[in-house]
Amino acid sequence: MPTTSPPTYPSMQEAILSGDERCAAGLARAAIDSGLLALDIVEKGFIPGVKRSGELWEAGEYFLPELVASAQAMKAAMEVLRPHLETGSGWTGAARVVIGTVKGDIHDIGKSLVAALLSANGFLVFDEGVDVPVERFVTRAREVEARIICASALLTTTMGVQRQLVAAVRSARLDSKVLVGGAPVNLEWATSIGADGYADSAVTAVTAARRILMEAAHATT
Amino acid sequence: MQPHELRTRIEAGPLLLDGGLGTMLIREGLDHGKAPEWWLVEEPDRLRSIHRRYAEAGSDILLTNTFGGSESKLASMGLGGRCRELSHRAVELARQAAGQRILVAGDMGPTGLSLPPIGSASLDEIRDQYHAQASALAAAGADLLVLETVYDRREALTAIEAARETGLALLVFMTFESRPRGFFTLMGDPLVPTLLALAEAGADGVGMNCSVSSTVMLRMVQEAASAGVERLMAQPNAGDPLPSAAGVTYAADPGTFAADARSMLRSGLRVVGGCCGTTPEFIGSLRSVLDQPEAR
Repeated sequence: MPTTSPPTYPSMQEAILSGDERCAAGLARAAIDSGLLALDIVEKGFIPGVKRSGELWEAGEYFLPELVASAQAMKAAMEVLRPHLETGSGWTGAARVVIGTVKGDIHDIGKSLVAALLSANGFLVFDEGVDVPVERFVTRAREVEARIICASALLTTTMGVQRQLVAAVRSARLDSKVLVGGAPVNLEWATSIGADGYADSAVTAVTAARRILMEAAHATT
Repeated sequence: MQPHELRTRIEAGPLLLDGGLGTMLIREGLDHGKAPEWWLVEEPDRLRSIHRRYAEAGSDILLTNTFGGSESKLASMGLGGRCRELSHRAVELARQAAGQRILVAGDMGPTGLSLPPIGSASLDEIRDQYHAQASALAAAGADLLVLETVYDRREALTAIEAARETGLALLVFMTFESRPRGFFTLMGDPLVPTLLALAEAGADGVGMNCSVSSTVMLRMVQEAASAGVERLMAQPNAGDPLPSAAGVTYAADPGTFAADARSMLRSGLRVVGGCCGTTPEFIGSLRSVLDQPEAR
């Protein structure tokens, strides 16, 4: 087999921008195999692509399909890279977020938009999809050492699951902060269930996520 | 009503739809997050009363309480298996309020199924949903069909295909936003080419609803009208939403709304109504505008 030169960082960015999951995963694999550091691959290759995707969204060049496709390509790359990233022993890169729509609820557009925008703003997003039981939020958050868990609920009947999630996160002694959202959710509800924050739009979700990180950073200084 | 009949009526003079139904249901006590269609079963009298208020305010067309009435949407809201039954109740209730003179439109909103890359539904699945709902509404005696708040052109075109099989006239609204490069749906469909595609596919009226105030929608109307879009329609929101501890209220007043509507009519709009936040008061203001001689 002839040796090939390692994949370039611009090619990784391009895979994200074009929303090409297979290409992104392939490049991630080839990059690892060629000896590049996983941390560099993420921070110099893929994250700039995701950030550029977010800029194009702001500029009105990219729309939801492009943003979601970029986020999915990022997810594919991260699935390859995650085992190679040393969690807990120094990687202070992008904050990890677990996001999903709660059990009993299948609304996905808002949640997908939040996931894509968080991704575009440099967060590492693990999108669990819809109809996600509390246990899966908790397990995944623990596994990836998520800083934030975002839970979306659009029905009064499923909002209660957000309350259960907060309780489960506390009793599991996870460090993750819980951010809630969805059309019927408001500040009053979020406060009453002990959530760490709430957001009423994808844009305010990014602001809220950033604020949570900053508050945590200040708390440790 | 046959497509050509409705087209003739639209061309003869502007038509007035009704205002927000969800808005009114919430005001009357519908729980947040609960499907409005539940009131077809639980509170038919109060629902009929809301239809009646729009009829009295001057609507030419009442929309049935079936926005989330596709089988897929109903199933996600605890009303699975009841599409046909609820379509019938909805048309019946609206008809009781409409009397002879006012038309009853079977209303259809998005199915809740998402096409790739957002979700994994297929066009066939989506077409089947619209076909079932449109057939049920037609069988129940709706005079025409209305499709609204769709933000994916592929879904809208599929819905038109399915709805036209009923033989009923069809009005189609899509939701556009103001983005840096112009007016687009969330999925990136541009305003004018999309409206033209909807007309080409057989919609008897095409236009925009939801998401924006009448002032923003006026600009959409002007752009579409300048580009030659015919039988143009608009259903703006009552201004921008203002979230508060009590819930969401809308910023605009009926006066501004009516003034914007007058400008829209002058630009060539043919069908007007109100979406989120609008009430019988808004429709009453629109009626006054439409009844002025220069509105024709």
